[in-house]
Amino acid sequence: MMRVLTKEDLKKLINSLSNSFEVIGPKEIPNKGVFYSPITGGDELYMGDSFAIEPAKKFFLKPSCAILSEKPDGGFGLEDVGVPSDKRVIIGLRPCEARGLTLLDKIFDAEHKDKFYIEERSRTTLIGLACDKPDRGCFCTSMGGSPADGQGLDAIIFAAEGQYIVEVITDKGREIIGSTGKKLDDGEQKARKSDKKKRHDSVKTKITPPEGLDKMVDNDYWSEVSRACVSCGICTYLCPTCHCFDLVDEERKRLRCYDGCSFPDFTLEASGVNPRPTKKERYRQRVYHKFDYFKKNFGENLCVGCGRCIRYCPVKIDIAAIADGARV
Amino acid sequence: MVEEIRSKAKELLKTKRVDIIIGYKRASDGVSATPAFVNTVEGADELIWDAYCTYNLSRYLNDFPGKKKGIVAKACDAKSIIVLLQENQLRREDIFVIGVECSGVIDEEKLRFGEGDADRIQFDQRCKGCDPSVYPICDLLIKDKGRAKTPGLEKDPYEAVRKFEVKSIQDRFNFWKEEFSRCIRCYACRGVCPSCYCPRCVADQTMPAWFSKATSFEGNFAWNVTRAIHLAGRCIDCGECERACPIGIPLRDINKKIEKDVKELFGYEAGLSDNGKPLFASFDKEDPEDFIR
Repeated sequence: MMRVLTKEDLKKLINSLSNSFEVIGPKEIPNKGVFYSPITGGDELYMGDSFAIEPAKKFFLKPSCAILSEKPDGGFGLEDVGVPSDKRVIIGLRPCEARGLTLLDKIFDAEHKDKFYIEERSRTTLIGLACDKPDRGCFCTSMGGSPADGQGLDAIIFAAEGQYIVEVITDKGREIIGSTGKKLDDGEQKARKSDKKKRHDSVKTKITPPEGLDKMVDNDYWSEVSRACVSCGICTYLCPTCHCFDLVDEERKRLRCYDGCSFPDFTLEASGVNPRPTKKERYRQRVYHKFDYFKKNFGENLCVGCGRCIRYCPVKIDIAAIADGARV
Repeated sequence: MVEEIRSKAKELLKTKRVDIIIGYKRASDGVSATPAFVNTVEGADELIWDAYCTYNLSRYLNDFPGKKKGIVAKACDAKSIIVLLQENQLRREDIFVIGVECSGVIDEEKLRFGEGDADRIQFDQRCKGCDPSVYPICDLLIKDKGRAKTPGLEKDPYEAVRKFEVKSIQDRFNFWKEEFSRCIRCYACRGVCPSCYCPRCVADQTMPAWFSKATSFEGNFAWNVTRAIHLAGRCIDCGECERACPIGIPLRDINKKIEKDVKELFGYEAGLSDNGKPLFASFDKEDPEDFIR
């Protein structure tokens, strides 16, 4: 189902959704960038070309999530922490991020069922926004995605000459879009195909994901490419698919907090031994998790080519170039 | 300038005066710079120098223990080197400082969607408070002959601080509460900072944990304030922490406030001379103490 919405239609839609849904979308903070935040009215929504700095992952895997807490009556023992059940819609999510969630599903909603992740997923409807201007960091088409891709989305919006064309993908998407706007003419349906191709071709950075990385574990390549790394957590925290965490007990709660392989203390053992003592082992781990281990376990690379780790790396380390150059 | 940097680097490597040159090379995007670590004479040809060379490379000096290091240093890197020498983190004889006259570096944020056109270069705010003629340490200074006028030294580098200081304590607290609440605790501010070299950072300690690991206001506030205070009298305002912060916390504003206090109370400026002791390693009976209550 395809609908055409005017800017006014979209605004009205968001205003009406606010009554029954928690609405989240990209919002611009002046001089800081675009961030996914709760939206209270259609005027707040940012539908421009800039990408949100933090991925929408944070709504499914929270940076710090209480998973156990002390019993409220003060009795001995712990109890599970609940997840809010009100319905939520994220509007303006980029296709690469939705694809990232389909990869996270393979971990948190598969053999092991993580109730926090699953409940956050099931209460959320994802309305994507196709990209118009991928930047130098974007390489989604090399990772099985596309700026116009609907994978993992319930509906996707294409901005086109002052209006929005919405392609409804699932029933959840239909529930949100309903009969807003008007139906797309059959004639225009055809133009959609060439528009999608145009968007696909607008991604200029192309790589060939590496194969057989296990043959180059000891290669000096990893020392070379990781030398400039400053061991911060930008690449992992801003990644839509990185999901490593640490368990921390604080204030009578057990928290699951983001953690990442780039930090020296991530693998520091109680004995004082650190099996990943230098940047070489740590950076290699990130590349291997994405392009080797995950592929072996789940058949896909754990990278969607969103470009965040390239865009925001404080010293311009480029995982696309590094993965592309990792050849035995 | 680039040719001079390359030929000096080659000479230093050839004569074994240094084992490695820490400089800049072009990043994979073809526009930005990325740190370069050159240990062969041929490798020196990849060295570059332009307004995209924003990093404070002195941060890498201790990544090569036991090696002699040459470093391509702007005025701010040079000031950081002074701090590292003062704090006994470096030996003077282990480093060769190739000073490069800097006319200011670009503002990355503004360039993100641009194509790197030189006319569009907008100098970073931090360069406006820097006087690049102050070059406290170098073994060789490579001059920029076609040097554009510096971005223009601000008349009062503390203007923003003064404006903020007059606000009520509640307003100031609310401002920082909002800013720090957004912190994602990626520790990029620490990662890029030449003065953040503690082998075990207070933030990484677990027994005891000095502050919350969770991204909550309490933990974020403790982290950012602890880091700022730890840099008192040591921060040379290279502004790398603010540049690296992915979510745009104005960290320089705190650093500038502390810098101003240190200057007014103790007449001390970090990174200007390696003769004196660091601020917190010196004591004078004339030191003001009326702020201790």
